[in-house]
Amino acid sequence: MNLVIEDVSKQYRGGHLALRNFSLTMKPGVLGLLGPNGAGKTTLMGILATITKATEGRVLWNGAEIAKNPDALRSVLGYLPQDFGVYPNLNAVEFLEYLAAVKGLDKATAARRIPELLELVNLTDARKRALGGYSGGMKQRVGIAQALLNDPQLLIVDEPTAGLDPEERVRFRNLLSDLSGERIVVLSTHIVSDVEATATDIALIANGTLVAHATPEALLLQVEGKVWEWVVPSGDLNEVRQRHQISSTNRRSDGVHVRVLGDEPPQGAQPVTPSLEDAYLFCLSRHRGGVAA
Amino acid sequence: MNRSRVLFHMVRADFLERVRRYSFLFTLGFSIYLGYAMYSGKINMQLGSYHGVANSAWLGSVVGLAGSVFLSLVGFYVVKNTIQRDRETRVGRILAATPMSRSFYTLSKALSNLAVLSAMILILAGAAIVIQLTHGGVGRISLFDLLSPILIFGLCAMSVTAAIAVLFETIPGLRGGVGNIAYFFLWCFLLNLSIRPLLTGQSPSVSTSMRDYTGITTISGQMQAQLHQLDPEYKGGSGFYIGSSHRGTKTFVWTGVKWNATIILSRIFWIGVAFCLTLIAAGLFDRFDPARETLSLKRSKKQAVLPKPDELDRLPIHIRETQLHASDLTPLVHGRSHVRFVALVLAELRLLLRGQHWWWYAVAAGLFVGCLFAPLDSARSGVILVAWLWPALLWSQLGTREAQFSTQAIIFSAPHAFPRQLLSSWAAGVVLALLTGGGLGLRLMLARDTDGLFGWVVAAIFIPALALALGVCTESRKPFEAVYTAWWYIGPLHQMRKLDFIGTQPTSSTPGLYLAASLMLLLVACLWRRGRLAHA
Repeated sequence: MNLVIEDVSKQYRGGHLALRNFSLTMKPGVLGLLGPNGAGKTTLMGILATITKATEGRVLWNGAEIAKNPDALRSVLGYLPQDFGVYPNLNAVEFLEYLAAVKGLDKATAARRIPELLELVNLTDARKRALGGYSGGMKQRVGIAQALLNDPQLLIVDEPTAGLDPEERVRFRNLLSDLSGERIVVLSTHIVSDVEATATDIALIANGTLVAHATPEALLLQVEGKVWEWVVPSGDLNEVRQRHQISSTNRRSDGVHVRVLGDEPPQGAQPVTPSLEDAYLFCLSRHRGGVAA
Repeated sequence: MNRSRVLFHMVRADFLERVRRYSFLFTLGFSIYLGYAMYSGKINMQLGSYHGVANSAWLGSVVGLAGSVFLSLVGFYVVKNTIQRDRETRVGRILAATPMSRSFYTLSKALSNLAVLSAMILILAGAAIVIQLTHGGVGRISLFDLLSPILIFGLCAMSVTAAIAVLFETIPGLRGGVGNIAYFFLWCFLLNLSIRPLLTGQSPSVSTSMRDYTGITTISGQMQAQLHQLDPEYKGGSGFYIGSSHRGTKTFVWTGVKWNATIILSRIFWIGVAFCLTLIAAGLFDRFDPARETLSLKRSKKQAVLPKPDELDRLPIHIRETQLHASDLTPLVHGRSHVRFVALVLAELRLLLRGQHWWWYAVAAGLFVGCLFAPLDSARSGVILVAWLWPALLWSQLGTREAQFSTQAIIFSAPHAFPRQLLSSWAAGVVLALLTGGGLGLRLMLARDTDGLFGWVVAAIFIPALALALGVCTESRKPFEAVYTAWWYIGPLHQMRKLDFIGTQPTSSTPGLYLAASLMLLLVACLWRRGRLAHA
């Protein structure tokens, strides 16, 4: 099972180039697609989900080009779009029954899977309520349930934790980890902690191009020995910002604890264990031509 | 910033937002078509066997009247979405948090509506000039004679239309499809009020002028008076005719509208009516209060029973912890393709009917029984008309629901969703027609009236096909609601041959034509949807 993206570019009307010669090969596991807002993640998700067409290049699902036979992929695809709606007059069961019919699930399978999925996303007790009365997080969970209806081999989730409270976010991360195995899961997000918790592979995307594709460990290795922390008086913070690539700041009673990226340590700084967020910022900074010194 | 500047910017922003949408091109297209129809003589005005020579006065009067009569109908459907758009885009909630008053907001919306409608009127004015310059126009162009009826009568009628549109948007029950259908009948009523003095031969007076919101009685009355002086044999009568075959054989020189204080006062009166309607709308406007929105939706029966906001707060998000894991889910055997067309049709039918209250079914059942037990002629030309107007707001969902509720990405990423989902949606509409009009179907079957039965089946096929095609092409429910109501009124209700898609009389029934039209509409819907999908 593999999904191959070959030199894909996407240009919208008006000339905006959302993706440029993007290539990537995915195998079973969770691929975390990380990138800043406007990087091209949602465009890529749309192409993989057969919602939009690439202007150039091709996408191959198990060797077959999806543009030529999209239904071959669609029958094994689960897709949770970033922005989606529900029919407000239906309840969760009816909505999933409708989508099961659209996706071509047989009646018996749909009847078994729908209650299971509602239980999985913790909506069993709210299943009879009209979706119009659901909160944003509950609608998001209905979206997750519909994406899993057909037991997808390719699961694409675009910003899935948006609108979820911290507890539900943790549950969803665990669910994604559970789901990985003999399927490809593409998790698009700009929340590094979501990827950190679940991804077996990470692809960094910026300005429509692939910045890096590696395991989390390999990305962390890239930034090993390049993360430093030291305490500065709060009055000096602006000067530090201008001279260094800051990863994070924390105000404490003894001053501001500043975490910076760079090949050489600032005077008085101590090396610290890098996080994935450090690696992400480091790669983006390098891609933009920023100096991490 | 002073109030007039704020008002200017609100109207400007709203106007720009509208005119930069593709749908505005359709709006302009309609005005251009109306201008062309008059240019080519497809729409013309005649008084008995007379029509005017194409001088500035005649062209200005005719184009002005056509604008105020036709655009007051079409324009309503064009502009009735301004508050809805603020609601959908959530811009309304930002505006609600500003010091802006409700009357200020509704006034800005009415003015913005008027700006859009004025753009349509100005196109007609341009068309009038082009007609006189290029199409055998007589005499010199007199800009006053040409433009004054267009601007004075046209803009006045548009101001009323703009205000009614805002008013409808602030009344929960009229905000949606019910309002779209109700406006057609309101327009008929206002037009009738306007035109009645002409039909009854009342002489012009302050009262007739005040009732004449389109200006048709005022202008036609003056034209008739002039003709009476020119030709004592002239017996009166005037009207708009669609189709070039109705052109009058005799000509006369229309010297133009004789403006007087009564006409000006009557226009000021109607502008005042528009202003009052805007103020009433301000009183009814909910200022995007979510609590009132929920209440409004419940009142308008557009939603299933939703929890009140305070109930929503109490709704447990984490009801209980589940022990189920992804690995416990029933596995699926991939590679088996199920074509569940019937299941999908039933699911679409359920989606259509969902949210209807018991009384909707009670009325539908009553109409079914009415068709079954009324005398066959009455059932065929009377009860069935109501039975097939009743579900109009359900048919108008066809082809639009996916866009309206943003479910396209989910649905169109399913295997074989095109054309299966589209056709099953249409089939659900046909089932709905067969059910609601089923009483007549049974009667025709029992009477062994095969022609009548064929016409009935074709109508049940045609109505959802029209809804689907308009829905898919426009992604809006309004076009079907407006077109269907007008068509229903002109064709079946008045038993006009070729337009009577229900076949209310054997003489007006043309089922073969409508069967072909249905197939064409389905083809259009499929091609349009296919064009919109990346991978169909």
